[in-house]
Amino acid sequence: MALAVAVLLAATAQVGRAGDVEAGRQKSALCAACHGPDGNATAPGVPSIAGQPNFFTHWQLIKYRDGRRKDAQMSAPAQNLSDTDMADLAAFYEAQRPRPRGSKTEPARVAEGRRLAALHHCTSCHRPDLSGQQQVPRLAGQDLDYLLKLLRSFKAKTATDLDGLMTMSAQPLHDEDIVNLVHFLASLGAETP
Amino acid sequence: MRRTLVIALTVLLLGVVASWLIPVQAQQPAAPPPWKQGQPAELASSPLAPVPQPPSPKAPGEILVDKIKVPTGFKVELWAHGINNARVMTWGSKGTLFVSSRVAGNVYAVVDKGGTREVKTIAKGLNLPNGVAFRDGVLYVAEIHRITKMVGIEDKLDAPPAMEVVYDTLPKDVPHGWKYLAFGPDGKLYFNIGAPCNICIPPDTHANISRVNPDGTGFEYFAHGVRNSVGFDWHPVTKELYFATHARDWLGEDLPSDRLDVAAKKGLHFGFPFCHQGDTPDPEFGKGRSCGEFATPLLKTGPHVAGNGVEFYTGSMFPAAYKNRIFLAQRGSWNRSQKIGFRVMMVTLNPGGAPTYEPFAEGWLQGGDIWGRPVYTRQMKDGSLLISDDYAGAIFRVTYQP
Repeated sequence: MALAVAVLLAATAQVGRAGDVEAGRQKSALCAACHGPDGNATAPGVPSIAGQPNFFTHWQLIKYRDGRRKDAQMSAPAQNLSDTDMADLAAFYEAQRPRPRGSKTEPARVAEGRRLAALHHCTSCHRPDLSGQQQVPRLAGQDLDYLLKLLRSFKAKTATDLDGLMTMSAQPLHDEDIVNLVHFLASLGAETP
Repeated sequence: MRRTLVIALTVLLLGVVASWLIPVQAQQPAAPPPWKQGQPAELASSPLAPVPQPPSPKAPGEILVDKIKVPTGFKVELWAHGINNARVMTWGSKGTLFVSSRVAGNVYAVVDKGGTREVKTIAKGLNLPNGVAFRDGVLYVAEIHRITKMVGIEDKLDAPPAMEVVYDTLPKDVPHGWKYLAFGPDGKLYFNIGAPCNICIPPDTHANISRVNPDGTGFEYFAHGVRNSVGFDWHPVTKELYFATHARDWLGEDLPSDRLDVAAKKGLHFGFPFCHQGDTPDPEFGKGRSCGEFATPLLKTGPHVAGNGVEFYTGSMFPAAYKNRIFLAQRGSWNRSQKIGFRVMMVTLNPGGAPTYEPFAEGWLQGGDIWGRPVYTRQMKDGSLLISDDYAGAIFRVTYQP
């Protein structure tokens, strides 16, 4: 009954198809230039996207396409992505194994950052091991420079997340707290225990 | 900032790990994310969390329309799909169905081409644009922080006009900041400004239903103490406002009940955050207050059911007994280990007695699993009923044949 009535339109004919890892791999060449062939970036300031939850990557691509998240490198290529492309890319990167970035961290800052991560409830959404889930990104082992820039942007209210929670959460942070937090996050192994 | 501090300290007093107290006094901690506020310490490791919104709509084969059960004589069909995060539906004057979304940031136009439906995205990148209302050729859109309008939109679906600001003196808080928007019988635009938290003493500007003239003048609060109402309608005869409210979380599996209320006049207070479901003082904020101070619910609709769409049936396709019944679409629970809701209920008002409350359409919940979430309804001209599903990104149509 459902199919008899359902209307498949050219523009939306492929909506809802679950992302295909292999198709995503084939579509990832442009992404690989900065994020690495398997989503593990090496250049400071560029985030690794290997092992990011499927929903997170997909939602970020939607936001870049629609102008809700802006970036000199990302905004333009996102314009050309179809919904299926986004689903495939998100599936591909979720299936890749994240590696630690090896950002240089200071033990005293790591210790203080660990305390702050609990105090400021980071672990409530990002999970106790900071591995992320659903629409919430993995932070463990992420590039320090990238995390620093992004968290400062949330504090400055120039970055937006899907539901506004990060903007709220960043407001009580002093810049020193932000630095300590990102040292802690960057120090973590990227593997989920 | 002071408000944040008050909330944060309250949370601490509620018994979050005592060893945090000393470092915390030296610096301001963030309040927990709103969905976690008010969670008792013994539930700190609870796996319950809001259901994530999928980034893309389901394909027709994944939309289990055959699982939806309706009363005898009624039939359900999949009317449209591929509408990411489809929420509120409102009719244009020339047969276009305008559909909002929430986190997808889009507004859609669905054009019925006689057996086929075409979906066009007419606005994107918006700030949780849940509210859409149409009058005199103008589509009004409510985002978190503003209400805008698109004049003459129905003739320009492929080249939509600019969004002109109607009213933008609104809080920017995201939690419970998305709005339902509808024209009242007085010609004013009504919308909610929800509490920016699970449970807190809200700022005076929040936890209400407000109204403003369509030209942006005459803003005023209409109802107070409303935690978050994202669905309301006016009785076709009495013209009184009926609205659904989501109750607070983390007070247990069965407490407190969500509610359906009627506001016969402006200025009533419906209890939040002091009193829940008309008879249960909040364990923290209810101290020193009495439930007798506040308006009582017309109907307790059940714990955590998340009633969204409220619509009086005024059509002629359904049996005569359906006239002026309320359809209440319940998006369903997250803060309950046994899921509840995920259905469209109907409420029959009985003069002088308690309303009758019974299921109309259910089946989005199968065992412990959900495949969709019914969120709003909208009658068609022929008296059939559309049901939007923001999880599947689809719209269903319910018809009746004796």
